[in-house]
Amino acid sequence: MSFNVLIVDDSNSMRAVIKKVISISGFKMDKCIEASNGVEALEALTGHWVDVIISDINMPIMSGFELFERLKSDNLLKDIPVIAITTESSDERMQDAFNLGVKGFIRKPFLPEEIRGILYKVIGVNYEGKYGEDSGDDEAFDF
Amino acid sequence: MKENMEKIAEMTRLSIFEVFEKMFYIFLEPSDGKVDGYDMEALIEFEGSARGEIRILLSRNMVRTMVQNMLNLEEGEITRHNIEDCSKEAVNMVAGNLFGKLDNSEMFNLSIPAFKPEYSGPSSGENAYRMDFDSDGEKVGVIIDINGRV
Repeated sequence: MSFNVLIVDDSNSMRAVIKKVISISGFKMDKCIEASNGVEALEALTGHWVDVIISDINMPIMSGFELFERLKSDNLLKDIPVIAITTESSDERMQDAFNLGVKGFIRKPFLPEEIRGILYKVIGVNYEGKYGEDSGDDEAFDF
Repeated sequence: MKENMEKIAEMTRLSIFEVFEKMFYIFLEPSDGKVDGYDMEALIEFEGSARGEIRILLSRNMVRTMVQNMLNLEEGEITRHNIEDCSKEAVNMVAGNLFGKLDNSEMFNLSIPAFKPEYSGPSSGENAYRMDFDSDGEKVGVIIDINGRV
């Protein structure tokens, strides 16, 4: 089984890095859709089904928090797992994000294994891409 | 005030080392003496219990190495857009990392980072702190300029 991923970040470079890291991490990615802010992400979601969203928070036009609110209030989109990838680190800000349905955090700067581990964890599959209890964790992985 | 500035400076040093090692595979060392010759900068404003701005100063060759390492590009593939993007990401990550190290319980709002294709000179702020680093002869500087309570 492979998964469609939506990456939302206003930095082209960061999107490219995240995409590359996912590709080399062993995570079974089918389609990778990119958006540079919350508005573009919502537009992308009207035409594509995605299994997980990885989103920055501090973005122009529509921030990550606004996007999380919109996702949470949409019956079709509210169950898509969301991972925030951000430099934000205050406890209060993280709690706000969790309250809006965010399932996991990746802090920039990050190591490749952190992305793979959290992707498997929030989707709830193991490293073979099968749903089960043995979901991804922080096991060492040789890149 | 002085003690707080020293703590901020130390946390900034740790943050810039971490960001450059993890994202750009560049190992920095503190620079001895006065450093000039920066070609561009990226800045971000912050606001919380204190407000101000953080500027990352970069030499041309340093930023090219950052782009090549982060995006795995060849020399001829680097664009101005890549340079701007990587510079802004660098200051964004250093700022976020710094505030996380200083106090996780306190919330700071960060602006959208901005890029300037030239070095706009040293800060004249009373609470400004500057540090310079190098790696293989290429330079990175950081200026933290704080207004309000520290």
